[in-house]
Amino acid sequence: MPHRHTNWLYGIPYWLWIGLFVIAPVALIIYQSFFNIDSHFTLNNYATYFHSGTYLQMTVNSVWYALLVTFFTLLISYPAAYIMSHLKHRDLWLLLIILPTWINILLKAYAFIGIFSQAGIANQFLTLIGIGPRQLLFTKSSFLFVATYIQIPFMILPIYNAILDLSPSYVNASRDLGATNWQTFWRVIWPLTLPGVKSGIQAVFIPSLSLFMLTRLIGGNKIITLGTAIEEHFLTTMNWGMGSTIGVVLIIAMVIIMIFTNSDKPTKGDRPS
Amino acid sequence: MKKHRFSWSHLYLVLVFAVLYAPILFLIVYSFSQGNSMDHFHGFTLQHYQELFDDRRMIVIVINTMLIALLSALISTLIGTLGALQIDKTTNKLTRGTILSLNNILMVSPDVIIGASFLIFFTRFHIGLGFWTVLLSHIAFEIPIVVLMVLPRLSEMSGTMLDAAEDLGATNWQMLSRVILPFISPGIFAGFFMALTYSLDDFAVTFFVTGNGFSTLSVEIYSRARQGISLEINALSGLMFIFALGLIVGYYFIQQANQHRLQKHQKSGAV
Amino acid sequence: MAKTIVELKNVSKSYGETTILKHINLELEEGKFYTLLGPSGCGKTTILRTIAGFTDATTGEIRFDGQKINDVPANKRKVNTVFQDYALFPHMSVFDNVAFGLAIHKLDKAEIKQRVQAALTLVQLEGYTNRGIAELSGGQQQRVAIARAIVMKPRVLLLDEPLSALDAKLRRAMQVELRNLQQRLGITFLFVTHDQEEALAMSDDIFVMNNGEILQSGSPVDIYDEPVNHFVADFIGESNILPGHMIKDYEVEFGGQKFTCSDAGMKPNEPVEVVLRPEDLTITTPENGKLVVTIETQLFRGDYYEIVGYDDDHHEWLIHSIHSPKDGERVGLTFDPDDIHVMRYGEKEAEFEARLDAYED
Repeated sequence: MPHRHTNWLYGIPYWLWIGLFVIAPVALIIYQSFFNIDSHFTLNNYATYFHSGTYLQMTVNSVWYALLVTFFTLLISYPAAYIMSHLKHRDLWLLLIILPTWINILLKAYAFIGIFSQAGIANQFLTLIGIGPRQLLFTKSSFLFVATYIQIPFMILPIYNAILDLSPSYVNASRDLGATNWQTFWRVIWPLTLPGVKSGIQAVFIPSLSLFMLTRLIGGNKIITLGTAIEEHFLTTMNWGMGSTIGVVLIIAMVIIMIFTNSDKPTKGDRPS
Repeated sequence: MKKHRFSWSHLYLVLVFAVLYAPILFLIVYSFSQGNSMDHFHGFTLQHYQELFDDRRMIVIVINTMLIALLSALISTLIGTLGALQIDKTTNKLTRGTILSLNNILMVSPDVIIGASFLIFFTRFHIGLGFWTVLLSHIAFEIPIVVLMVLPRLSEMSGTMLDAAEDLGATNWQMLSRVILPFISPGIFAGFFMALTYSLDDFAVTFFVTGNGFSTLSVEIYSRARQGISLEINALSGLMFIFALGLIVGYYFIQQANQHRLQKHQKSGAV
Repeated sequence: MAKTIVELKNVSKSYGETTILKHINLELEEGKFYTLLGPSGCGKTTILRTIAGFTDATTGEIRFDGQKINDVPANKRKVNTVFQDYALFPHMSVFDNVAFGLAIHKLDKAEIKQRVQAALTLVQLEGYTNRGIAELSGGQQQRVAIARAIVMKPRVLLLDEPLSALDAKLRRAMQVELRNLQQRLGITFLFVTHDQEEALAMSDDIFVMNNGEILQSGSPVDIYDEPVNHFVADFIGESNILPGHMIKDYEVEFGGQKFTCSDAGMKPNEPVEVVLRPEDLTITTPENGKLVVTIETQLFRGDYYEIVGYDDDHHEWLIHSIHSPKDGERVGLTFDPDDIHVMRYGEKEAEFEARLDAYED
């Protein structure tokens, strides 16, 4: 379209944004990871990371808990999304799912401080059924519970959309060909809604690696995620080099996840070819 | 048989919703409780709301948060829409893929990475931490969601529609203002809305780039929550819930009204 | 002769390695109905787009009213287009769609209103001004698209397969309407289609295209009766095409027999192709037939039977007849010398016309 080259000037703010706030920060964090606390060039950060058991242990823990959170979230969300998609007033229910995401994550975490506290409502219930009170706050399970709680809406939304996109005629066709409900689900519905599940996993797993505020407020530092370590290095010990090194590890983890969950529509740009 | 299964699934859904809302309701209930703990209800009071309204520091922080949210949403909507228009023009598949991947980096990056890298960025360029760094950061992480909301509307627009506008004499500017923008306005609106919620929701990025003098609600709640329970925060969450509820109900009714008006419009046209 | 309004001179178009148009020359006169006819991908829409200004010609000249317009942008050209997918603006009412171009040109409100109403009346959509686009049927959307273009009073209206999305009955009705509209407005229509029936029914002149070239142009009758080559004969209407030899002028051999024909100007014994239209074949007894075929299948088409038979050399013959023979019956076929059309291999339109001129004088 020869006459319609819309002015590239309009795009300048956007290109500036890509340059300054997308490329530059990533480049800077990689660059920074090669400097020690005294601003000298070094490879020690990486050496430390790969040789000290603590960092590797922490990474494994972080990935393990993120996996657990993702798994539990998926387990709860898929049936919920499926049931919701078959309801009459599903738009309204969808809004009700979205509404809690508008309540600040810290307020929700704060609520659990109250709920899980020594004399809190959870312990009152445990006392009532005769197995409490127990230490609930600042445990690994409380971290898992709250993290799962916070991520549920982000898993439900993409799955719900994928199920809605599914034409009912596939289900009818499958039934027509003699499949049972379970076979229909396992052979037709699940594979066709897999893209929604994948984007749900993407939306839940990566943030779960870095929920440092929850590890502090709920987990009581029983679990140190990659995010917690980065926050610690940047804002407490001021060792930006080491913090950046962990950041680079996190970025690599993220890219791996993206490759796995984007397998059906690979965008050439995010892989060096 | 079928009915039976139905009720089980409904029970499950009700349970999920109960768990989703219980902590929020819990917070609100205790915002009316006397005393200073969230373990037993000690009688109704509005004292915590009173404290909240008397808390000058908190009021300033609420205003700051709103200001950052509105400004960043407006600016990111503008930049994101322009960006989406540019991406839509890009027909080369490789270029387009690259731009989209770059666009999505901030969408998928963990908050701490965004926060830490922005912190390095601002420090390196000697930009003092405070209002401006928070505003810039919010604009930065809101732009990609605006692009992602606007782009599908743009690709829904058939190419011949622009041909038609040009064929009828429209200039580039007229094509933009009379055809493209009205057509993609639902996407722009949704983008603005998402940007707003992203801003209000953010904690981690702000936490990294905020410095000492400036604070937003989530940062403030974090530092207060680390010190233990204060029912003033409950009062605050009560207000925020009502605010969110108001927004979502408003959004729902605007949508309903839009549909209604459209139908009415259509009916009067049919006569 | 009427005035030439649009002229393409040696226009070619290529994208990198692929050539879409090869040396296109065509002239459109004022007030006529033209059709670009060809299979999909033959370049017909590209010709339309170069005239409208949506696509640049790689080489060659596009002239409008004697002026070269290669560098005039689409929004400044005095042609308007009806698009295949209608390209109506979904966020505007019927009125606003039709008024769009007039509003762009800043006409005053009263005139816009009057002209929009007139255009909508012309396409029989008077009562629909405030409707939304989504609530119109396909046929109504089609009419809005036409109204939106003709309200601009273009001197040439370009129509890009506008009827392809309509069902068969509506399509036939719209063919009549478009033809009437063109005659009422008295402007030039350039209509793109892959439907040969549509082209034959509506056009003053047809350009038959394939692979980026214009193979033949002329009135529907000329093209139907005297196709220049195998492709045109096959694409326009239905035909029996057989290999043969030109014995001498006005005598051709095919199927092992010699026939008198009305073609001349070829070399003696030159290999040729012979076209016989199925409706020109008359069924008779085997004794009276010039050819004898055995009936294989027949389909009832309502106003005729479509019959397939095989001669003794196993050539397939397609026959249209109002009488139905029996399956397996041996029948004779007769035809007039004028019904035989002989085509030379590889002959271009210009050579074909020159040869025709030579022996018809």
